[in-house]
Amino acid sequence: MEKRKLKEFEGTRTYVLDPELRKIVNISIALEMPLLLKGEPGTGKTLLAQAIAEDLGLILIVLNVKSSMKAVDALYQYDTLTRLNDARFGDSKRNVKNIEEYIRMGKIGQAFISESKVVLLIDEIDKADSDFQDDLLDVLDQMSFDIIEIDKTIKAKHRPIVIITSNAKKDLSDPFLGRCNFHHIAFPDPDMMHKIIRAHFPEIEQNLANSAIKIFYQLRKAPNVEKKPSTRELLNWLRALILDPSFKVKELGKEGKIPYLGVLFKKSMDLEQAKNYLSRVENL
Amino acid sequence: MFVPFFYELRTAGIPISPTAFLRLQKALNLGLVNSLEDFYTTARTILIKSERYFDLYDKIFAQYFLGVELKTPEEKELEGLVRALLEEWLKNPKQLADFLGIDPEQLKKYSPEELVRYFLEKLKEQTERHDGGDTWIGTAGTSPVGHSGIHPGGMRVGGISRNKSAIKVALERRWKDYAMNGPLDTSSIGEALKRLKHLTPSGPRDQLNISETIYQTVKNAGEIEIVFSPRLKDKLKIILVMDNGGWSMDPYIELCRTLFKYANDNFKQVRTYYFHNCIYDYVYEDPQRRAKPRKTLDFVREDPETRLIIVGDASMAPYELTHDQGTIEYGEYQTKSGLHWLKFLNQTFPHSAWLNPKLKEEWRYTAGSYTIARIREVFPMFDLTLEGLEKAVNHLTKK
Repeated sequence: MEKRKLKEFEGTRTYVLDPELRKIVNISIALEMPLLLKGEPGTGKTLLAQAIAEDLGLILIVLNVKSSMKAVDALYQYDTLTRLNDARFGDSKRNVKNIEEYIRMGKIGQAFISESKVVLLIDEIDKADSDFQDDLLDVLDQMSFDIIEIDKTIKAKHRPIVIITSNAKKDLSDPFLGRCNFHHIAFPDPDMMHKIIRAHFPEIEQNLANSAIKIFYQLRKAPNVEKKPSTRELLNWLRALILDPSFKVKELGKEGKIPYLGVLFKKSMDLEQAKNYLSRVENL
Repeated sequence: MFVPFFYELRTAGIPISPTAFLRLQKALNLGLVNSLEDFYTTARTILIKSERYFDLYDKIFAQYFLGVELKTPEEKELEGLVRALLEEWLKNPKQLADFLGIDPEQLKKYSPEELVRYFLEKLKEQTERHDGGDTWIGTAGTSPVGHSGIHPGGMRVGGISRNKSAIKVALERRWKDYAMNGPLDTSSIGEALKRLKHLTPSGPRDQLNISETIYQTVKNAGEIEIVFSPRLKDKLKIILVMDNGGWSMDPYIELCRTLFKYANDNFKQVRTYYFHNCIYDYVYEDPQRRAKPRKTLDFVREDPETRLIIVGDASMAPYELTHDQGTIEYGEYQTKSGLHWLKFLNQTFPHSAWLNPKLKEEWRYTAGSYTIARIREVFPMFDLTLEGLEKAVNHLTKK
């Protein structure tokens, strides 16, 4: 257990936290377990890590997983090219004989050698193949890894708070799941959405918030849409509505008129479908 | 602590490791869990590793901590249960006949479908009379239903609440939708998957494989040996259309869904639609065939290279296939016969196949033999066996 007790995570000004998730985050921090978050895009998985870091006053280190990524890339890199260059031209202060000077820490490595506790976000782990997860298993379990080139073990000075996100496309491997706490973030319900909007636009008119949310959830029901608008789109849409001086709340949704529909539906096919849907639905 | 709870969860089929359970004990010792509500959240995040099990967890949690057996079930759920019960009962037709108040001889004339319908009606009458429509079968003694062994004893719906909020949360069953595609454990699924993986087109061998070239060259003592690999071609798109109408289809639907879900990586895209008995003007994205209809005609806009796979027993009344108003779904809008729409789909997707869970040997003699024969004139049909799947894959990858 951590000697210096961390304060509990409470949520931040712009991140609205439901109590259940808060409990889960705090349990994971207390147990020093990675927390795996799944859920459809736009449910704020990535934002959660930022909010935790902000609230607890910790540095956030983000590892954006890419499909071609190998686990070792996330740990460290041996910069052979610079070493070759130094050996050839000898114009740097580095000691070419000392390989350690050419080892660069990857994101996980940085989190481990950090002098203070950090929040480590491993974003969209499902993008990489399953070898990636398997290779990270022990690293996250033991909080240490070896640099084979110089035969040195890097051990985490402070166990980072690890948040892992996955877009639920693929199931992660069982041993990996076994080492994580798990939560699935469902799409926020209208009540929650009200709170989220309030957090972002404290000054917003109640009428606007009400009708915008109503229309938003209605539009999410539009059939044949490939990418449904998410929280992010709703917030951007509201921003556009608020900035538009000619916009009047009363007219929103009347006769199927929705300004800036393109902010909500970003694919042209989806926009067509949404327009179709609006023309069929009479009362929003 | 809570060891029985742990076993309840495991017995229900949720994979939980003892390590995870010990971890839960550790969390309890940390003093972070101060209420039942906390326990609900904590135990879930530590023990349950997939949202597919959240619903089951909710159910067991409510049952364990409150003794609630089941919420007033929705019609669909009820139907499933009744079917399970019926199977049990068919072993003892006399008891069933007694309960329904009909002659055992007459009972034999009903098809299972009819029986279920009859039974549900009977049930509705009964609950209304006895319980004001609030509770459900098995208020000990009102009917033999309660003694079937699935829900022994009586049932308290809602129940006494010791800690209302956590139970309420569990009873809300928020995760029900995610539970639908739970994994299915079938011994042959691994084998079937292997066959399905062949469903990939490969391009001409015209790409230089450098590492293999070096390897072969060295092996060849320095004499250059150039190795080419097949060019990677675009992965296939798959449209899966499944008949989930009759209960005879149910196990196969789950099987196919699981199959294609696991094979997902091999394909560019897999989309699933549902129909009942035959395809008409609409197919549905949701298994309930209500919320998300899609015009069959719209498939014309799809990439014709998409592989269409239809899964169904192809057995129905002849008019359902050939008649312009043949649908048996009440309220479904239909303009043209099922056969018309099947032909349309076949023309839209030159690469298509029909998978039938009925074995090939039965096709000529089974109840639906007429419609099977008619549909085979349109679609190449394969039975849903390893062999059939292999043949279907071969057919679908043909140029």
